[in-house]
Amino acid sequence: MFKFFTRIFSFLNKELAEIFRQPALIVLLVLGPFLLMFLFGLGYPDENRTLRTIFVLEDQNVPPQELKLFTESINPTIAETQIEQNKANALARLARNQADLVIVVPAHAVETIQSNQKATFLIYHNEVDPFQIAYIYSIGNIYVNEVNRRILESATEQGQGSAGDLQTSLEDAIAKTQAIRQTIPPGDSGTATQVDDLLKSLNDVHDKLRQFRSMSSAVLVNPFTSDISGITPKQFGPTDFFAPAVIVLLMQHLSITLASLSIVRERRSGIMELFRVSPLTAFEILLGKFLTYLFFELILAAIISALIVGVLGIPMFGNWWHYGLAVFILLFTSLGLGFLISLISETDTQAVQYSMLLLLASIFFSGFLLDLRLMWKPIGVLAWSLPATYGIRMLQDIMLRGAPIPLLIFSGLALIGIAIFVIDWLLLRKRIEVQYSST
Amino acid sequence: MNSTKNTKPEGNVVEASELTKKFGESAAVDAVNMQVPYGTIFGFVGPSGCGKTTTVRLLTGVYAPTSGQVRVLGKNPVAFSKEDREKIGYLIQHFVLYPELTVWENLNFAASFYGVNPFRRGHLRKLLDFVELRKDSNKRASQLSGGMQRRLSLAATLVHNPPLLFLDEPTTGIDPILRQKFWDYFKELQKQGHTLFITTQYVGEAAYCDLVGVMYQGKLLMVETPENLRRKAFGGDVISVRTTEGIRYDNRQRIEKLPFVRGKVKILSDQEIDVITDEASTAMPLLVEDLNAQRLNIESIEQKSVPFDDVFVKLIEQEKVRDV
Repeated sequence: MFKFFTRIFSFLNKELAEIFRQPALIVLLVLGPFLLMFLFGLGYPDENRTLRTIFVLEDQNVPPQELKLFTESINPTIAETQIEQNKANALARLARNQADLVIVVPAHAVETIQSNQKATFLIYHNEVDPFQIAYIYSIGNIYVNEVNRRILESATEQGQGSAGDLQTSLEDAIAKTQAIRQTIPPGDSGTATQVDDLLKSLNDVHDKLRQFRSMSSAVLVNPFTSDISGITPKQFGPTDFFAPAVIVLLMQHLSITLASLSIVRERRSGIMELFRVSPLTAFEILLGKFLTYLFFELILAAIISALIVGVLGIPMFGNWWHYGLAVFILLFTSLGLGFLISLISETDTQAVQYSMLLLLASIFFSGFLLDLRLMWKPIGVLAWSLPATYGIRMLQDIMLRGAPIPLLIFSGLALIGIAIFVIDWLLLRKRIEVQYSST
Repeated sequence: MNSTKNTKPEGNVVEASELTKKFGESAAVDAVNMQVPYGTIFGFVGPSGCGKTTTVRLLTGVYAPTSGQVRVLGKNPVAFSKEDREKIGYLIQHFVLYPELTVWENLNFAASFYGVNPFRRGHLRKLLDFVELRKDSNKRASQLSGGMQRRLSLAATLVHNPPLLFLDEPTTGIDPILRQKFWDYFKELQKQGHTLFITTQYVGEAAYCDLVGVMYQGKLLMVETPENLRRKAFGGDVISVRTTEGIRYDNRQRIEKLPFVRGKVKILSDQEIDVITDEASTAMPLLVEDLNAQRLNIESIEQKSVPFDDVFVKLIEQEKVRDV
């Protein structure tokens, strides 16, 4: 048993010495992720993109200055507005990237509406990014809804003004009707009843008119509103949101890269033949390497996390022990994947290519870029075979929601990690066992 | 350096019988039979690609034989236990240690994976003294010369003090002076009780071995002592004779008819011939007597130590003739 531990820890000294022989690598591994996050935070402040907009006014009746003020008061994201009389010119400028948006104001809008037809704002953009296109759709809808709302409010206010005159006339009519009611002889009950009914109806209409006039036009036009609140402890900016995912991707990639090069290099150098003749077993080699890299990467993860939370101010609402456990299982499984790559690759280049493919897959399928709930379910199987998918879920829950470690996710990743370890062990055993093959 | 704790057992440390390893249809090792006694230096000589490394791999359990039997330390190498493996030191043909680690770190790593006691600093220092690398212990392996890397590999092979050493071409690619030094190490190791199985393509190194196996195209042509190899190559001991006057045809015919002389006399010059005899020590006085009787004045007479390169070439030629 003593020799077992001596053999396992032989790798601790060896691998760490190899890593620490490259101080530039250590600096890169610690400062790299921190600087990336710092620059990401600087590069993406929590502000919406403003859109340089050209309005096309073919209708000479609309005063341009009023339109500009009106528009900018509606939506501050529509900024740096310019006015063009010619639609073709405006579109040419859009194509030359001199504007982000062209809004063609409908000509003769009043006449169109009065003829019981909708007037259409034509909105043009030159985007290719689907997220930016969605953003412009949303800004366009907000703009048109706001224009409609303001027109309705204005119309309602005009209606309320007219209703005041109507109310005066109605009060006059009620007074005159009451006077008529006084003149009806007591025996003429039929006429009296009819006049009373008329008076009641007039009073009802009067009450309704009074109520209509007393109400705010904004409430009348937009009676419902919404108030959205998250139950998370904070409203997060993009840097906050992406920080846990970036930590996960970096730690996964680092583990996979280090591990994937580890065994493939030894196989190519020929030292595996020496291991094969020595008392070392595949289990001892694998366990030794796992423990070494886990030890090194846990320290690295602790430093990176401390810098990101302590210096960059990324929120950490959860429990640090849960965080540590999540990072541990992420590293364990990622190392397993790295060793698997190392065992199936014939060259360093092949191992690096596999690692890069895994990184790309993780960026696209782990929920780093797109929400997993949008994914087609069968492809979800691929997503949930990547350690990063589990890691991002766990770290986002712990850091941003302040939730405990999600047990189901944790157990799923642990199971995958153990399964990969067993596969690695069997493959390495096959690699260093006696070669019976005659080819 | 400590001598091996194992007392020298009787018998053979390696026994191979009809040992064959095929890769596809081609036999890299073809029906090899050999015995290596404990405590010997066994030289395995042959040209590059003749099957030496494959044989070593069969003996160390890296390869399983296609057919035949092999016993090393009394066991089948394929079924070696950890304890059996601890008794073996294996020096691979090329440098396989870690270039980024220092001499000390590489040696310490090798000691760890052989499970050597962690309190081993003294032992490692002695090993470095033995291979004369003590003052370079902080140098990275990548900064060492080829010869120093070989010495580091040798130290790593000896780190767990194994009684049986397989050294695959330990002297390839290093200068003759350092090669001599390596053989001094090997002799020292033999004195300490180790058994050494050494492959080499420098046939001259056969002279340092107790037993030499000659390998050619996967076949083990013979296993002999160096002297017997010479005899086998030339049909006996070679005695070189130089006279002060010319050796005539009738002189040579008379010599060839002597009972202890084998075959034809080889003419080197008018006054110099090589005579092949059964046993040089007994033949030489009789030859002197005969030459005197023929009134030939002997300038010099000695047993000729034929270079092993010539011995090897002769043996290969004989093998080719046999094949034809």
